[in-house]
Amino acid sequence: MSERLRRWVAGLVTATMAAVVAIGLITAPSSEASRAEAIGSRIKCPVCQGEAIADSPAELAGSMMALVEERVAQGWSDQQIIDAFVASYGEWILLDPPLAPATALLWLIPAAGVAIGLLAAMRRRRVAPPVEDEAADAARAPEPRQAPS
Amino acid sequence: MSALLGTISVLVALGAAIALTIQGWRAAARSDGPATIRLRTPVLVLLVAAVASLLVLEAALLGDDFSLEYVANHHAAATPLLYTVASAWGALEGSIVLWGVVLAGATWLVSRGYSRAPDRLGAGALAVMGLVATFFFALMATVADPFKVCVEAGPASCLAASPLPWAAAVAPPDGAGPNPLLQNHPLMAVHPPMLYLGYVGLTVPFAFAMSALALGQGGVEWLRRSRTSTLVAWSFLTVGITLGGLWAYEVLSWGGYWAWDPVENASLLPWLMATAFLHSAVVQERRGMLQAWNFVLVIAAFSLTILGTFLTRSGVVASVHSFTQSAIGPVLLGFLVVVLSASLGLFAARAHLVASAPRLESLASREGAFLLNNLLLSVFALVVLVGTLYPLLVEAFSGAEVGVGAPFFNRLTVPLAFGLLLTMGVGPVTPWRLARGAVVWARIRTPLRVGLAAGAVLVLTGTRNGWVVGAVMLSTFVVAVIVRHLWVTSRARAAKLGVSRRKAALDVVAGDSGYWGGQLSHIGVALAAVGLAAAANLATHAEVDLVPGDTASFAGYELTYLTPFLLNEPNRTVTGATIVVERDSEIVSELQPRINEYPGTGAGIVTPAVHSSLRGDVYLTLTRIDAGGITLEMDTTPAVWLIWLGGLVAASGGAFSTVVRRLAQRPASTEPARV
Repeated sequence: MSERLRRWVAGLVTATMAAVVAIGLITAPSSEASRAEAIGSRIKCPVCQGEAIADSPAELAGSMMALVEERVAQGWSDQQIIDAFVASYGEWILLDPPLAPATALLWLIPAAGVAIGLLAAMRRRRVAPPVEDEAADAARAPEPRQAPS
Repeated sequence: MSALLGTISVLVALGAAIALTIQGWRAAARSDGPATIRLRTPVLVLLVAAVASLLVLEAALLGDDFSLEYVANHHAAATPLLYTVASAWGALEGSIVLWGVVLAGATWLVSRGYSRAPDRLGAGALAVMGLVATFFFALMATVADPFKVCVEAGPASCLAASPLPWAAAVAPPDGAGPNPLLQNHPLMAVHPPMLYLGYVGLTVPFAFAMSALALGQGGVEWLRRSRTSTLVAWSFLTVGITLGGLWAYEVLSWGGYWAWDPVENASLLPWLMATAFLHSAVVQERRGMLQAWNFVLVIAAFSLTILGTFLTRSGVVASVHSFTQSAIGPVLLGFLVVVLSASLGLFAARAHLVASAPRLESLASREGAFLLNNLLLSVFALVVLVGTLYPLLVEAFSGAEVGVGAPFFNRLTVPLAFGLLLTMGVGPVTPWRLARGAVVWARIRTPLRVGLAAGAVLVLTGTRNGWVVGAVMLSTFVVAVIVRHLWVTSRARAAKLGVSRRKAALDVVAGDSGYWGGQLSHIGVALAAVGLAAAANLATHAEVDLVPGDTASFAGYELTYLTPFLLNEPNRTVTGATIVVERDSEIVSELQPRINEYPGTGAGIVTPAVHSSLRGDVYLTLTRIDAGGITLEMDTTPAVWLIWLGGLVAASGGAFSTVVRRLAQRPASTEPARV
């Protein structure tokens, strides 16, 4: 009985902690400043070397960042702000290029890497499939030398 | 005089490297016969000559010998001592000299494990080391000659130089001095040598792998013999990358430490491959699996160091790390192509001889966890490689400019990093061969709760950023798994042998130093992960204009601008502002962000001032200082110190394994007598 009670309490505590984390994160406020920062980190500073306008101390970056903040305050969506920058500068202003013919490989090669890796790992598996039999299983994988916990 | 001595030492080293290649190859080619081929001699000559070339260069720098083109263009009479010494690797030709010294040292280490014919594997490895050394010393003798004589002097630089050491030397009255960015922080003296020790150390596993392939000798011997070098190289690479981040943070004035700059990526790539190799080597040692894959990883790690060398020294990327000259670029690219085609060709020809028998019983096993680790690290490296090279290739072939920056890398690598953290927690306590769910669950149940508790505490104390909470929970989980595992295994040992807990724990750790060193590294990575997540998501930034006497409030601090100052130092002019930092009406620091101007180099270098504390850093940058006051950029980065600490802890895990394993091996050494 006490063992059951102990487990029950442990489960309750775990569930409470999980709920605290989940609710805390879901209801976290997103501020305008952090939105502007996030957008600014995706736009390249035209006069710097691969720096985002959010990070660069350059004057032009500062004024572009001010524009982003203004648009955020006016209620523009992230995509609208990004689109406006692309319209006036071109695609190269973005630090994370969208999926387009010129950039397709950039996204496809890592995806292909994952697929090939998974296939290779799966193929290895066919060699000696584990037996779903308690006795053979025990013989194959002896109890770990570690003490039970 | 320096030109002559330097050129001679380079040529002697080149000759020794060629001799080592030929002799090593001859010794490897014969399967028996008397051991008449001596390899120690060329190795010693190589080492002595390489060290001599560096010493000659240092002596020329310290002695202000401006008749050497290198000294005239990268040193000035007023350069402080530390940066004078560091100037030996602060520019292209000198950096190759340092590379050569480290390579000669690595070759010497390999030769210490070589015990006369018929050690064909060792002889072959020495031949490969000799071949790589031949390439680098040939560079020094031709396109990257550090000992050129200045034959036409400008007022403070050398305008034309001759490779002939007996050419009539003309010395300018003073030199140009080092690149301003490179004489702005003492880490310049430490970061490059650490990285080079890491890069060059990866030549050793490559040499053993090539030797094993050429001889068709599969098995774990090549792994065992290159293990120490790999681990040492990995530890230095970890330190080098960490210090590079610290250097960037303290010098580059944007409050960051990592910009996914192509050259930073070039140092990360071999690190990722070496990390994957350290893990999959365990699988080969324990279970005889993955040998072919290990060859691929070693070839990749070495090739990527050469790629990194090419990117930094060819001028194809614009970055703080780039050396300006480009004559050496095509040569390095050619070497990369040769290395790749030769090693992959050899691998393809011999793969059938070294393919290991498939022995994987189930993916739910330690082997499976290692496979997942390797998959994640390899995809991570692939993302970094593609993101780095893609813009260069697109621009080279179509002229179009494609921006691939931090958002691209972050979007793809952050999920991979979280996957790695999770694997790092579960993998080390997953049984080999076949892991039953109940066994693994019993081992991770409590640590999972501890991680969850850490997350709950964080949320309740007001940190509600998902990335940070996630990183803290996973990292706490990783550390808790390790602590619990040590606790349980040492308790069992103490009960079984009737010894104290403390002694049992020490015995457990010393008895499997490879495993526990690895866990120490995991703790370091977990710490760094928390620091990275916090720095990336919780940093705050503001900008303010101040005149003397003004006070600005920022992130709980009061910043008072006292006074501007001007310093005339021998090698630079410093303009700065003294700012008093207060918290709760108590002075915590006096910071002096500044702009350093080095004569003849154009714009001043904006140098930040940082007040570091456990709570977080106050990071001040001056972007304007004139009669009307200053413009001050203010950043706070919480827990950024965890990144530096984590990197050093991770590296110390590698050092721990190496040292303890050595100590444990010493009494029971059965190594044959050395030649």
